[in-house]
Amino acid sequence: MNKALLPDVGRDLEQLYETFVVRARALGTEVYRVRGMSEARDLIGRLIKEMGAQKVALSESPLLSAADLGRAVAGCGAEVIKGNPREVAETADVGISSFEMAVAETGTLVQDATDINRRLVSMLPPVHLALVPTGCLVATLKEAINNLAARGQVPGYVAFVSGPSRTADIERVLTIGVHGPGRLAVIFIDEGGDIVV
Amino acid sequence: MSKATLRQATREALANTSVRSALTRFADSYVISREQVYQHKNFEELRREVARIKQETVEHLEELAAQFAREATRRGATVFRAATAAEAREYIARLARAKGIKTIVKSKSMASEEIHLNDYLKEKDLDVVETDLGEWIIQLARQRPSHMVMPAIHMSRNEVAEVFRREIKQAVEPEISSMVQLARRELRRKFLSSWMGISGANIAVAETGTIVMVTNEGNGRLTTTLPPVHVIIVGLEKLVPRFKDIVPILEVLPRSATGQHITSYVTMITGAVPAIDPEGKYHEQKELHIILMDNGRTRMAADPVFKEAMQCVRCAACLNVCPVYQQLGGVYGDVYTGVIGTLLTAFFTNPQKAQVLQNLCIDCGRCRDYCSGNINLPALIGELRRRTVESKGAGYAEKIIFDKILPRRRLFHRFLKTASRLQKPFVRAGKIRHLPLFLSGLTSGRTLPALADVPFRDLIATPPRPKKKNGRVALFSGCLIDFVYPGIGKAVAGVLAAMGFELVHPEDQTCCGFPAKQVGLMDNFAELARQNIAAFMDIDAEHILTACPTCAEALKFLYPEILAGDREWSQRAREMAQKVVDFSSFVYAKKKELIPQLAPFRHKVTYHDSCHLKRYLRVTMEPRQLLKDAGADLVEMSRPDVCCGFGGSFTLKFPELSNSILDRKLESLLETGAEILALDCPGCRLQIEGGLDCRNLPVKVMHTAEVLARCLASDGRVQ
Repeated sequence: MNKALLPDVGRDLEQLYETFVVRARALGTEVYRVRGMSEARDLIGRLIKEMGAQKVALSESPLLSAADLGRAVAGCGAEVIKGNPREVAETADVGISSFEMAVAETGTLVQDATDINRRLVSMLPPVHLALVPTGCLVATLKEAINNLAARGQVPGYVAFVSGPSRTADIERVLTIGVHGPGRLAVIFIDEGGDIVV
Repeated sequence: MSKATLRQATREALANTSVRSALTRFADSYVISREQVYQHKNFEELRREVARIKQETVEHLEELAAQFAREATRRGATVFRAATAAEAREYIARLARAKGIKTIVKSKSMASEEIHLNDYLKEKDLDVVETDLGEWIIQLARQRPSHMVMPAIHMSRNEVAEVFRREIKQAVEPEISSMVQLARRELRRKFLSSWMGISGANIAVAETGTIVMVTNEGNGRLTTTLPPVHVIIVGLEKLVPRFKDIVPILEVLPRSATGQHITSYVTMITGAVPAIDPEGKYHEQKELHIILMDNGRTRMAADPVFKEAMQCVRCAACLNVCPVYQQLGGVYGDVYTGVIGTLLTAFFTNPQKAQVLQNLCIDCGRCRDYCSGNINLPALIGELRRRTVESKGAGYAEKIIFDKILPRRRLFHRFLKTASRLQKPFVRAGKIRHLPLFLSGLTSGRTLPALADVPFRDLIATPPRPKKKNGRVALFSGCLIDFVYPGIGKAVAGVLAAMGFELVHPEDQTCCGFPAKQVGLMDNFAELARQNIAAFMDIDAEHILTACPTCAEALKFLYPEILAGDREWSQRAREMAQKVVDFSSFVYAKKKELIPQLAPFRHKVTYHDSCHLKRYLRVTMEPRQLLKDAGADLVEMSRPDVCCGFGGSFTLKFPELSNSILDRKLESLLETGAEILALDCPGCRLQIEGGLDCRNLPVKVMHTAEVLARCLASDGRVQ
């Protein structure tokens, strides 16, 4: 893990990151951090290989394009599946999408999920890998909501994701992976902040 | 529903021990996890903020509804203003018919429960599937939700497995994770094949036309994403003016509902977004219909008192901490359950039933401390009670007692003295173990103390003389101390004498009137208030002391309230209120002189917080500190502040329920291994002592005043 980065906001960001890690892990989210795109590719390749995934659904975003994940997926023997996005997302073992904000105090990821493909990829597969630029960490929910409000027009569908899908509806026993992904891994990319997501 | 039906329903609910143990287990862990997630957050500030936002909503309800409709429409939604449940239901059925839709997936929505949507759509030959796991189980089992947040909390894993076997013809072990996976597979098929999704909403933002949904399972996301037609049902009370108003609600809702910092998913939908239908066709804009539903909400908002209930964010904290709800589950309510459920029932679903349900509130006030919308829930129940009595009249026995006997002090006191003689055949060693006929419920699970041979008012005719003169105090004894526990009164007099205070006990004082208020007879209450104010008006004393927290609450807070509009009496009520103080607070404030006189109380003691002392007078530390100062080994019980189940007239109306709540209290008490239970309320003493006695448990119950008096009189030993 690289800690020396983004010199101007570095210290605050490190604190935010640490808080995020504690909160998110408490919710069952796996948290990774890489320096740049090539490390991201390596990590994603490794994760896909470890879980034995064959079919990968990718949503489109500048961050994902920059990371050139097709290469990573092919490199570990899996394939990026194409076609009707509903079927793609439903048959995929893992979905990968990017998020625009991460909220430290709650371990939350925030995504403009207006695009239908991005929504399907993050909702249907049993595993989700979420990419987010480290520089997009904010401290509080309040900050995140104020950022959304400041956009002039609130996006059509905004998703706040905090951990895997969970239920406690039977005897209040916490059970993971009921309707959404049962496994959520977030990958912070330090040198991704300048890419508009 | 009649009172008798309700009482029968409570008996049946009490017989179901699995519901009770699930709810009580949850209640215990809830309080702890809630406390943890509120660390570093200022709950009081947050809930005041929520209340402010909602008050603004109530004041501008129509404007905000119109603004919401405008904004959501601008973003591509179709907004339908439904005045009634029927209009909302019909709109959805019509829409489905027009689109040729047969199957519908639904995520959790209390508003849809409120309008009995599923039954209606089924009648119209539509296949509606609940997709929230708990709701789906309930639907398959053909039951109704017992809790707003956890609908199937009353069912065990075995029952769920049985429902799955029977209804979806799938053999499944009663193992939770495999049942959850089965639900995922079954429901995923439904999601992918449905053309319409119906969801609820937690917040509706007028400024932007945004709908916010707070969920955990992810079914809400699928419901709002997969089907190309999406219907949102949202009650007007969910409106907030501005987008930033989401923040405080989002901070309190998951914390107060389930003890989570945040739920797995928070979804914000603004207008129509793209969709791909089950045939694979891409739609640039899906069909989004938002049903903005009134169904009694405008009437609630226009009510000068009940508009406060519009501040509710449906976190269900009031259910989670309610000692009565923990015993009964869904029986305490209609579509909406518990204390808030009773209020919503009165306006949204079944006003007649609400008039009966309000009897179930024991008025312990605990919900008020936990309410995320800062609603004074017990006060609203009190108002519902008052209006019920106003429209239906009080019961026959209540009329006799409150109209004929209680307002005439001499008659009332003569009545008590006669009763003290008549009870003799039933009294053994100062206790009544069995009462005949219709009174038998009073002695189920609890013995009753006998009325004292000599009431306190006669005992105190010659009060003890203090050696020094530090001041003069008037004592308001209250009925229980006067006629049942004169010993507490004597102890109070002894402690005050040791502190150098002269005691006066005005003879004309009578019942504080709280029981009349409790059954909604406000005129009778006001009459008793005036009598008591008159009794103390000309007494020269700096303080008016009570050793009963309920009396203290009446004198200090309720008299000025009930007499506020009375030109002659309101000022007198306020003057009296200023002098009123409970025993422990008074002694604590002047304890310096007392403590050195006390022989050490060498006993293991635990303390029970009486509801009215803790939640209305806000006194918790003082009696505990006095007990420690007296040398007691004070050990805290779990849940020291949960009601003992007495509740005055509550115990008469629901003796079995009262006894079941008492069982929980005794459980906590016995866990401590204490020899003595100290408390500050004669009502709690009647309940707990009676329960201990009936179960032959050797714990002694003492008022804090009695502990202190014992340390003054002897070596501080209790036999």
